This record gives sequence, C-alpha cells and structure tokens, in this order.
Amino acid sequence: MTRTMIGRRGALLGAAGAVGSFAIGGKAFGQGAPVVFGALPPLTGAGGPYGPAMLRAIQQVVDEANAAGGIPTRQGGRQIRVVAEDDQTNPDAGVRGARKLIDVDRVSAIMGTWASSVTTAVAPLCWENRLPLFTVSGADSITLLPHQGYIFRTQPNSRLQIATGADFLIRQGARRIFHLAAQSPFAQSSQDVLVEKMRGVSGGAVAGYIVYERDKTAFRTEVDQIMRSRADTVFLNGYLPDVTILLRELFRAGFDGRRFTPAYALTQRSFETLPNEVTNGVMTWQPSPDVQSGAFRRLQTRFGNVEVDPYSAQTHDHATLAILAAAQAGDATGIAIRDNVRRIAAGDGAVVDNVTDGLRAIAAGRAVNFDGASGPVDFDERGDIRGTKFRYERAAGGRFELMELT
Amino acid sequence: MEAYLVAMLVFAGFYALMALGLNVIWGLAGMVNLGLVGFFAVGAYASALLTTKLMWPMPLGWAAGAALAAAAGAAMAVIVARLRGDYLAIVTLGFAEVIRLVASNEIWLTNGTDGISGIPGPWRGAVTPQEFNLVFLAIVWTAVAIGFLLLARLSHSPFGRVLRAVREDEDVAAVAGKPVLWFKVRAFCLGAAIVGLSGALYAHYNAYIAPDGFAPLLTIYVVLALTAGGVGSMRGAVLGAVLVLVLLEGTRFLAAAVPGVSPVQKAALREGIIALSLILLLRLRPQGLIPERTRTLHAPKATP
Repeated sequence: MTRTMIGRRGALLGAAGAVGSFAIGGKAFGQGAPVVFGALPPLTGAGGPYGPAMLRAIQQVVDEANAAGGIPTRQGGRQIRVVAEDDQTNPDAGVRGARKLIDVDRVSAIMGTWASSVTTAVAPLCWENRLPLFTVSGADSITLLPHQGYIFRTQPNSRLQIATGADFLIRQGARRIFHLAAQSPFAQSSQDVLVEKMRGVSGGAVAGYIVYERDKTAFRTEVDQIMRSRADTVFLNGYLPDVTILLRELFRAGFDGRRFTPAYALTQRSFETLPNEVTNGVMTWQPSPDVQSGAFRRLQTRFGNVEVDPYSAQTHDHATLAILAAAQAGDATGIAIRDNVRRIAAGDGAVVDNVTDGLRAIAAGRAVNFDGASGPVDFDERGDIRGTKFRYERAAGGRFELMELT
Repeated sequence: MEAYLVAMLVFAGFYALMALGLNVIWGLAGMVNLGLVGFFAVGAYASALLTTKLMWPMPLGWAAGAALAAAAGAAMAVIVARLRGDYLAIVTLGFAEVIRLVASNEIWLTNGTDGISGIPGPWRGAVTPQEFNLVFLAIVWTAVAIGFLLLARLSHSPFGRVLRAVREDEDVAAVAGKPVLWFKVRAFCLGAAIVGLSGALYAHYNAYIAPDGFAPLLTIYVVLALTAGGVGSMRGAVLGAVLVLVLLEGTRFLAAAVPGVSPVQKAALREGIIALSLILLLRLRPQGLIPERTRTLHAPKATP
C-alpha cells in the first residue's frame, strides 16, 4: 500500500509540474493563456487501429497553427494545446475521459470521437457544457439528438452511404441483392434504404436479409441461405473479423456473384489472412477523402507519404475548423466556435485548404471558405456533412484497384 | 477540477453499489457471479424504458429497475442451484451476454445498438450541469450509505450467518436444517436488486444507455474492487470500489506525468499500471484491504 501512496503523491507532483511547464511555454510564445482542444479518439479497443493516426493529424494542424501565431483574440495570439484521452472504444470510458477533458483541462472543443455509441454518450456532456463536438461516427441518430448545433459530423451518415452504395451496385447490374448485416446501429436503416432503392429498378429485389451477431465465428446457415436465395450480389454489411470469415465460407460454397462490403471490413490486412482467389473481385466502397485536394496532399506528405485513412483526414479537418472558427470569432469559447464554423466552412469567401492560409486571411479581414482533406466540409443545419465523394475499389491479386471515384 | 472529482465520485458510487450487491452473492453466500453487468443492464433498461416510454416518475423507475433485477436474480439462482465454482461463473457470464444480445437485437423495445438517449435526470436542465452533478452525488451516496448500513447489519444477522455457513459448506448447512436453496435465492435476489438499482441510477445520470456500455469489462472492475477491498466485508466493498476508480482515473495523470510518452503509449501505460497495481495488491494482500471479520468468539483449536 505504501508503494502506491508514494506513486500517487509523485503523480500529483508530476501532473502539477507538467501543467506548470505548459503554462510557462504558453507565456513564452503567445500572450493569452493557451486554448485547449480535447481529442477523444479510440487508442485501444475496436477502434484502436485508427485512433493514433487520427490524433497525429490533429496534432499536426495544431503545430502548424501555433507556428503561424496561434488563434488571434482580443488578448493577442493564443497558442493551442491538444490534450488527448483514450475513449477505449467504450461509452463508459469515453464519458469519463470527456469529463476529465471538460472539467480538468477546460477544453474549448472535443474532436475525434469514433464509435457511434461513444459519440452518443459524450454528446450530452458537450452540449450541456456548451462545447462543440466534432465526430467521425456514422449512425443516423447522432445528429438527430437535441444538440443545439454543437455537433459537427464529417462522416456522411449511414443512410447516405448505403444509398450511394446501392446506386453503385445497380449501375454494376445487380438485381437480386442479399443483405447480410452485423447487428449495429445501421443494420435496419441500411435494409430500409436498400429495399427502397431496389424497388426502383425493374426486376430489382432484396433477395434476403439476415442480421447476425458480430462476434460470430461460423456462418454456415447464413451462407446456405445466400446460396438458396440465388442472389446475384451479396452485400456483406459487417466488420473486418466477420467479413473475413464470411468471404472464406462464400468461396468454399462456390458463390460466384458480386460481393460488396464496406472498405473498413476488407483492408490490406485481409490479404494477409485470405488467399487471393478468395478476395479477388470483392468490391468495397467508402466515403473518400478528397485525394486531389491540396489539404489531403499536404496531410499525406506530413504523414510521410503513407496511406492516409479517411478518419485522419476528417480529424485534420476537425482541428482546422475549430481553429479557424475561433479565429473568425476572435474568441475561443465553445459557443464562439459553434457559431462560426459554418461561416468559415462554406460561403463565398476565398477558398483555403490549410490552417496557415486561413489564419492569415482571417487576420486580413477576408472571408474564407475552408475546403478540407475529407471534402468541402459544408454542414447542413443538423450538423451533417454535404457533398462527400465516394471511392469504389475492387480486390485483385492482393491489391485494391480503383473502380470509380465520384 | 471540482466538477470532475464530483463526477468521478458519482461513478465510484455506482461501483460501490455494485460491489455491495456482489458482496451479498459472492462474499456472503459464496456464489461466483460474473453476470453482474447483466443485472446492471436490466436495472438500467427497465428504469430508462419506464420513465421515457411510460413517463413513470424517476423514483418509481429506480424501484422498478431494482425489482426487475431482483426477479432476474431469483430466476438465475434457481437455474444455477446445483452449480458451483467455475461452472457457476460461466453460466452467469453467459447470462450477462444474453442480456446484452437481447438489448441489441430487440429493437422494438430497446432501440437496438442505437441505445436509448434523452433519459431524464432529477432536475436536469433546470440546474447547471455542476449542480446536477452534486444532486446526483447526494442521491448515489445516500443509496450507498443506506445499502451499506442495511447490509452490514444483515451480514451479522442470523440470515448472514446462514449465508456464510452455505458458503463454507452447503451440506453442513442443510444438515443443520437450513433450506439452502431458499437462502441462495434470497441472497441472489437481494444482491441483484442492489446491482439493478445501481444500473437504474446510472441510466439517469448518463442520460444515455446502449448495449456497448454493458460489456463484461464492468463486471471485471467490480469483481476486482471487491477482491481488493476484501471479499465478505461490506466496508471493503465500498473502499475497493473507490480504490478501483482512483486507479482508473489516477493513472491518467500518472501516465501523463511520465516524460516523453506519446498519447498512444500513455493509453497502453495506463492499462499496464492498472493491471500491475491490482496484481501487486492481490499478491501482497490476498485477503483484501479490509478483511472480513466474523464475530466468532471461540475459534476451535486445530486438533492434533
């Protein structure tokens, strides 16, 4: 017990020291106290593979803004500090992390929540404390919460994703689609959208619909039903582990129709666990970052020319939006950021694609319209994103080849 | 900072209630229960649904949450009547998973994996978030205090003594004329009711519940809390719950104080510190911080 007591006392001293050193740093560079942004990405748990890069993207934008003099306010340029907490891809841990960010670090905005359940759990804390929440979660229900404008979502909601996916399949000639979905907030809404879309095509039908538990390890009965339904296309609306198993079982059963799955369910890693003849021809789709945009290219260079996932592109935009909105307001409170995001994200202002140019233009009193790495980032009145591109790929020989980018 | 500390004390209160409930089932009656989070979820969903869909007043919702969890506990006790040890642990673990699966698939009732949001809280909206925290702090710790007083009394009552006898040796208790199953059912019922109450309060504090929130991790935390505090001791249960929360949250600051770690390493370091502290605690003090005290006047001497 003595051991832990000393540890805790040391921790307190250390924490005090760390906070103190930040304060000194803030004094040396900027004039006002630093503005604090809270990052709440999943660093462990199911979202663990994505969180670290999401955080890195935020940090890079903030470093760039700090180098450009920080957020201009009435007290002079204020430097920005990022405090990150791990949401553990669990709503309970997410809420505790958010509490710490809000009450201890006094953040001006929270960004980078990934799982829909975490976002929904954290959202009330944000709007009660008048803080904007920038998220990459896709569940339709999130922006329907009574959030008073505090939620900004850079991920297209699942309805839009499924609708564009279905349009693509129809263009590919799919008529009888079998929908196999992992139980998730978007299983049922996906099905509704699919049925509606297929009804609009002559001879189109959803040949079957099964919801399964995502931890399942065998899918014999499901695959048998797919075979019996004589579907020409199967839509595997699941996650990486279950879709990996499903693809293998579909191959064994000799299914020769189209296979379509979200890009997060078939990744480069799948090619290491599945032989190429199993994955060849599987089509994936995902909301695409705007890979042609200046913002995306810069982010890619900063990342060292490795592949940039859509979530990091989005958190890059979260940080930029928050900084530019605060600069526009000349005030870094949560309310000021909320009220100014739409002013700097859309409109007739000069188009900027990075935080440095944005800060400079705002300082010069010009109107700006930020176009980010994830897309043009225009928000509708609910906080949902407008005008995202989608990317369709096909697996061939252990690689993805681009089919369409629209 | 104060607001954060208050919020964490509220969480500690939920854990303490759960640890107290577990202590009746496991500590006194000796039935390993790894299905805690299932009863927690039953309480949370019952109260959330009754107050949002049928507009029941909150105290009634909480009572209903506890009552439903108690009913589930009673059913559970009858089902597992003949199981002990590992087998009991697996069945109870399964029970919690069943509850979670029902919650994520019976969409008409529970809104599936979307969860239920906008659950009312006492005076939420009418007072500032900080005042709401304080209100809830009072409610939760009042519940803990009442639960603690009643259970501490109970554990030294004849009922508590019989439960201990059942824990030590069922057959001896049966030979002494005690209806073992009936005692087990009542212990399970009582423990589950307290865990269910904790769940019901949690739902109204958080305003949002979803199946994801009822993962087995929570059970593990509470089992650890009770083990660290002292199995069978009511004071140990409360202390252990506070200790686990101090560990969970304190490691945030501890890991941040280590120079030169990135946030990703910090997250890993945190989990490492939590695990290590609990291993050390169990290694150095296996009986828990406050070991169980029984009022045995004359311990029988070992026969040579």
